[in-house]
Order: sequence, then C-alpha cells, then structure tokens
Amino acid sequence: MFFHIVLERNMQLHPRHFGRNLRENLVSKLMKDVEGTCSGRHGFVVAITGIENVGKGLIRDGTGFVTFPVKYQCVVFRPFKGEVLEAVVTMVNKMGFFAEAGPVQIFVSNHLIPDDMEFQSGDMPNYTTSDGSVKIQKDSEVRLKIIGTRVDATEIFCIGTIKDDFLGVINDPTTA
Amino acid sequence: MSLVTDSPVHSSSSDDFAALLDAELEVGSSGSSPDEEDVEADGDNNNDNNDDHDDDDDLDSQRNKRCKTEKLEDLEESRGSTSQGLIEDKIVIHAELSLKKDICTHPGSFGQMCILCGQRLDDESGVTFGYIHKGLRLGNDEIVRLRSTDMKNLLRHKKLYLVLDLDHTLLNSTQLMHLTPDEEYLKGQSDSLQDVSRGSLFMLDFMHMMTKLRPFVRTFLKEASEMFEMYIYTMGDRPYALEMAKLLDPRREYFSDRVISRDDGTQKHQKGLDVVLGQESAVVILDDTENAWMKHKDNLILMERYHYFASSCHQFGYKCKSLSQLKSDESEPDGALASVLKALRQIHHMFFDELDCNLASRDVRQVLKTVQEEVLKGCKIVFSHVFPTNFPAESHPLWKMAEQLGATCSTETDLSVTHVVSTDAGTEKSRWAVKEKKFLVHPRWIEATNYLWQKQPEENFPVSQGKNQ
Repeated sequence: MFFHIVLERNMQLHPRHFGRNLRENLVSKLMKDVEGTCSGRHGFVVAITGIENVGKGLIRDGTGFVTFPVKYQCVVFRPFKGEVLEAVVTMVNKMGFFAEAGPVQIFVSNHLIPDDMEFQSGDMPNYTTSDGSVKIQKDSEVRLKIIGTRVDATEIFCIGTIKDDFLGVINDPTTA
Repeated sequence: MSLVTDSPVHSSSSDDFAALLDAELEVGSSGSSPDEEDVEADGDNNNDNNDDHDDDDDLDSQRNKRCKTEKLEDLEESRGSTSQGLIEDKIVIHAELSLKKDICTHPGSFGQMCILCGQRLDDESGVTFGYIHKGLRLGNDEIVRLRSTDMKNLLRHKKLYLVLDLDHTLLNSTQLMHLTPDEEYLKGQSDSLQDVSRGSLFMLDFMHMMTKLRPFVRTFLKEASEMFEMYIYTMGDRPYALEMAKLLDPRREYFSDRVISRDDGTQKHQKGLDVVLGQESAVVILDDTENAWMKHKDNLILMERYHYFASSCHQFGYKCKSLSQLKSDESEPDGALASVLKALRQIHHMFFDELDCNLASRDVRQVLKTVQEEVLKGCKIVFSHVFPTNFPAESHPLWKMAEQLGATCSTETDLSVTHVVSTDAGTEKSRWAVKEKKFLVHPRWIEATNYLWQKQPEENFPVSQGKNQ
C-alpha cells in the first residue's frame, strides 16, 4: 500500500555546502540518503515529494558539521499482511515462484498455488492448469495475497498466496 | 552546548501514522504489538467471528490470535452467564478445529518466514538454497517431498539428473597473470564476448581470467540436455560459477537457476547432493575430483582432467608442456566428453529401456556399475612390476579399477589370462605374454579405459624395456 506521509530526519551538512545553495544541497543529499531505503515502520521510501520545513542548524562540537532537522513529505510503500498486491513473476521453479512488486520480493510456495496447477519444467518453467488455459511463468503478472512480511534495511521479503478467490494470473506475457 | 544525534528523529506525526495503520489493518507489524487491539476487536463483535468461522481462507496467524482470545472469553462467559450456551458450543468446536489446523509444519522459510503460514521463524533448521534465491531455506521433509514429486515429473519426460563440474571437466581457466610467455599469443586469439555461443576461448578482463571451453562441450550439453536435467556444481565462488554458466549456456536453456557454487554447499571442501533437488537414485555426477564426492562415489563418473593452460598443468604437478603451449587441443570427436556422452547415452538407454522393474524403484547407480562392468568384460588381467613388492595387490587402486571395469584380476599366469599389465617388458610374466601371444600393455591402458568408458586399442599402450634389462 502506498502512503503520502511527513517524516523528519536530522541531516548533517559539511560547511563547504553552505552559501546560497545550502537548501538545494540539503535537499539533494536528503534524496540521496532516503530514497530507496527501507524502514520496518514505514516501508520503502519511493520518492520525496516536498520539503515541509528546515529547522535551525546546530553546529556539532569539534567537527564543524551542522545538523538540520528536516521535515519532508514522501511517498512510502509498505506491504501488509492480508493485502492483495499485483506483482511480476521473476522466477519459477519446482518450489513455487518468486515475484516482485517494486522493491518487494515475494515468494509463493507451491503449497499456496492452486492444486490444479502443475509444475512444468523445461527452458521456460511454469505452472499450468491441466487444460492449459492458465499459465504462470517468468514475466507473468499475478495478483496475490500477502500472508507474511519482513522488512530489512534495504529489502522487503513477503510470503504470498494465490490459493484464494480472485487471485492468480492477471496478464499472460505470451498472449499480450 | 548541545550534542545532536545522527539518527533520524521519529516525529510524533509518524508515530501517530503507524499506530493508525496498525489499528486500521489489525495486522502485526514487526515493531508494534497489535494483540491488545485484537482482543478489543474480537470482544466487540463476537457474533461476527462466528460468521467468519466457515471462512477457510482466514489467515492462520490471525486465527491463532483469535483462538487465544476466544478461549479466554469462553472461560469468562461460562462463569458469567449460561444464556449464550449455543454460541459457546459453537465457539468451542471452532476453537478445537482451528487449533488442529493451526499446527503448521513450517516446511521451509523465505526471509525467515514460513513459506506456508507466513509466521516468523528463528530456528535455522534445514538446508539453505541460496543458489535458487536469497533467503530461501527448506526443511528436510519438504526436500524429500519435492524430490519425489519432481522425480515422477522427470521420469515421465524420460530424464535423469546430471551434475556437472566446471574446472577441468567442462573447461579450464587461468588467471591472466599466470599466463606463461609462450601463451601470450592466446590473448590475440580469444573469441568475442558478444556472441558467446560460437567461441571457445574467452578473455574475461573484468575477472582477470582466461577460460578455454573443452572441445565438444557445446554438442555435449545440447545432447545431454535431452536426456538429463543438468546442474552445475563447482568449487569456484558464485560470481565465477555464474560467469562460466553464461559462457556455456548463453541462452539459459540448460541450467537456468541450477548453478551451485562452493558458497552454497553445506560442507567445506565437499560437494554434496543435499542441495540438489533430485533423488540420489537418479543422479549422475561428472567430476574430475573423486575426493570431493566422498558420500556419492557411486553416482560419480570420473573425468580425465582437462588441462589447457600451463598454470593448470603446473598446479597438478605435471612437468610436460600444456596444450596451449603446444598449440594443440583435445580431439573433438574422440575426446573425453565425446566418450562420456556415449556412456551417458548407454546409461540412459539402459535405465529407461532395458530394466524390467518399475520405474520408481530403478537406481542409476546400479546401472552405472553395470555399464562400467561391461567395459572390460571377459578380460583376465595379470599385473607384473606394477605394485611394490609386499603390497597387498587386491587393495591397489589399479586392481580395484580393473575389477570395477568388469575384468578379473589374478596374480598367476595361466592360459585364460588375456592381458598382462606391466611397466617393464623384461619381466618373466611380460615375456610369457609375448610368447603366448597375450596382450602386453602399460598400466595407462587401464586408466585410459577407465576414463573413456571403452576398451582402448592395446597397441597404443606398448611396454618399454626396463632399464636393468
């Protein structure tokens, strides 16, 4: 799920960046530091959309660095248990398949793939129904439900299932 | 004077936000404790829960929590009032049912979460399958299950498993800095990395390496892939293994994600079939190092080492000139890979077409042995001047090798003997062999036969006169 929220961060800036471009420097450093990172609480920071306010700087003893408290608006992405998500399949094997939704890695074990879908090995491994009408392979788009999440410093892992109503392939790359 | 911390400050607004989310979604995030909220929610709409009971798709973990709270409520309610007897019964029955369902065996984990119920798992049991995906780990029961389902699938396609070593089996690599002066010419002859599928000599500047593929390897992989599901298993590290897989299989049609490196093994300096998702009774291994497969010698076809570069010869203590220095190479149609492919075909044919017992109970190790025993069938070998005196002949590697190849070995000459293996043409037994018109061959004959899986022409392995004669 995406959220647009306000976060705050203390930014340290070297004195060489001071001057009339101080604010721009601060913002570009903030983007570099924050975008693409994860936190367990808020999930993955997709993009900074604006600066709410930059507080008064405090000089750090001994170093000359200055710390600014910066409040910024950003878009975050965080998967939740029970959430239904659309993802792209990255790898299919006999254990199940792996899919990605942006930075989120999702594994769907073959226990959680409908029983009528069977694994077919070969150079394009896939799960197919017995009548061949539905096929999950690399680059397929699937709708899945998340049943477990774990957020690391840089990665988010999820366990998903497609053994439920209205879940499964939503777009087959071979027919597109 | 104030010291400022580096860590990002969590403003009150973000705390509120997270609390709001957790409350809204009733889900446990890693940082918060939603149980209290669950209790409240469940307490409020007890009847709703009853309706939900039929819903099998309810999440296991949520169920878990609910069960606990329901049990608590049960106790309280039974103490308090009896008017709700019906509902109570329902609750109790459901609690029992869901408790049974809740016991998840946790067949494996991904990112430390159970792949079946999504619960966090902290115990490190099972085998890591890092080569398939980061953070994937499977329990032993799950491996057994996957192997048996996969086996059925594979046998239906008339395929077996083939585990291939890289270095000295399919190719030979050297560090650029280890190239000798007379190998420098190779740098000008290396093939382009743009179209990998045609070349056989590659310079990988970014890895400071040069790699030569063994002659015939492309045909070998193509034909073997029709009979086997193939794995790469190397003692090299992961980046190297992947790079070599790219050279051997640029279209990713043979190996896909089945590339195992030393980083993925479970034991140091050993290769094991535990990380291979194939039943041991259907795995054939091609490797040049017998010692790496201590536990799976019966699955192994030993390969003659492929030394193309001088550094590789040197590493194994050979003083002779390398193939690269001689500007030659292994023969394409009669090399080690071509002959082993013949043996593989024979094994495959025998496994699927000749055995009588049912498919699932067949064992490729047995087939391997049978095929090997065919090679020198009917030969009776006497050794002369091969073993040190007083050495128990039966335990010598050559003796064992000859027996594995189906020959009978003897210490005494008689008329049924067909071959005399000797290092010296002057010994009594050697002269007897010449007189009786028996084959007199060098011990290398047995070794070559062992590597090439077929009886080698005896005249190519003559025995020279000893020094003392």
